[in-house]
Amino acid sequence: MKVFVALSVLCVAIATAQAEYNQYCYQSVAKACVSTSKSEGKIDCSARYGGIDGVLSDLQKYVNTHITRSYEFLLMSTHYANYEKNRAGFEKLLRGYSDEKWNNAIELIKYISKRGGRMDFNKVKLFNKTEDYNVVYEMNEIETLAMALDIEKDMAHDANKIHSEASHKNNDHYDPEVLQYIEEEFAERQAESIRTLAGHTTDLKKLLSGPDSSLALYLFDEMLQK
Amino acid sequence: MKSMLAIALFACAIAASSAAMQCNQTPLDMPMQWKDMQESCVDKVKQQIGEELKASMQYLAMGAHFSDYQINRPGFAKMFFESASEERDHAIKLISYLLMRGELRQDVSNLIKKKYTPAATTWASGMEALKDALALEASVTKKIRDVVKVCEDDERFNDYHLVDYLTGEFLEEQYKGQREIAGRISTLGKMMSKHSALGEFLYDKKLLS
Repeated sequence: MKVFVALSVLCVAIATAQAEYNQYCYQSVAKACVSTSKSEGKIDCSARYGGIDGVLSDLQKYVNTHITRSYEFLLMSTHYANYEKNRAGFEKLLRGYSDEKWNNAIELIKYISKRGGRMDFNKVKLFNKTEDYNVVYEMNEIETLAMALDIEKDMAHDANKIHSEASHKNNDHYDPEVLQYIEEEFAERQAESIRTLAGHTTDLKKLLSGPDSSLALYLFDEMLQK
Repeated sequence: MKSMLAIALFACAIAASSAAMQCNQTPLDMPMQWKDMQESCVDKVKQQIGEELKASMQYLAMGAHFSDYQINRPGFAKMFFESASEERDHAIKLISYLLMRGELRQDVSNLIKKKYTPAATTWASGMEALKDALALEASVTKKIRDVVKVCEDDERFNDYHLVDYLTGEFLEEQYKGQREIAGRISTLGKMMSKHSALGEFLYDKKLLS
């Protein structure tokens, strides 16, 4: 018994000495080490730090947006793979976006867990109803490119919003690691795909105004296949 | 003056009409006898596409659960994330098959929903999740068998090719996958019989390698 008391006193002493640095985890572990009951032995060693709480809900929504968008791109791609459209280039382009959104969703879930959060599949971004929910994915070529461009911009906007929330130095949500992650994994690639799609629409606009839009679309699709 | 205005307007109209883009092509008249899939069978395959996506969301939720630092089983998470992508690939394979047979020329927009919500999002242990995964696979297998039934029992048309594809590719993968999960449950169970915490910890590391 004496040894036990001595040990616990030592533990508490160390705990108070360290308290300033590792306030919760160390104390709770130290307490759990000397506790006799399991309920008192709970440890509180969270992976959360920085400003993650400020952006967690938006990150969760961003995952669900990625999944929904991956389905939308899959449908758009499917439309171009039917025997009548038969545009392998458009199919490939759109399928690429679908795969990318799906893989990003998984990476985002891993990222949320890395920062001590947990994915919530019920956190969904509210889409503008008329704009997003009654869309038919069977469009013509230039409409499809326009829609893809709008989606990419919308997703870039979401990423920017998360970035801005984590960049205010004067509140509790400041989190340079989140900023770094958004910049590296999203910002650069989004700028590229937005530029590519905008370029494609410029090209198609010119080609479709010419004398033979069928042939132009055929050649444009061939180009997309490469 | 009036005629000048009229000419100017006419010129504008021509300019506008020639500047307008021609975005749509008129569909061709073509023979349709080659399209021989029956509607009931097509509907059943379409339904199965949704089932595969549902399963993929369930696996995604499992991956998310085991990634949580309070669970911290990266091996289990890796395995479930891979399964999620596999299920999605199955859905895409079925879509490709329908396209190959001339289906999905229209009404593509309703083929899949915008969102499939996972039925469960937490599991008490790795073992619990593996058991759920095995049950999920068994239910998918049963649903594929149902598609086979509908597509071969049709009096007007026995869809030999689809049925061959489903049994040869899909059921093959289902049975192999189920055997793999069953083996894992069994190994993990034996490892945990005396050392449950250590058993799960070690098995997770094994899944990671």
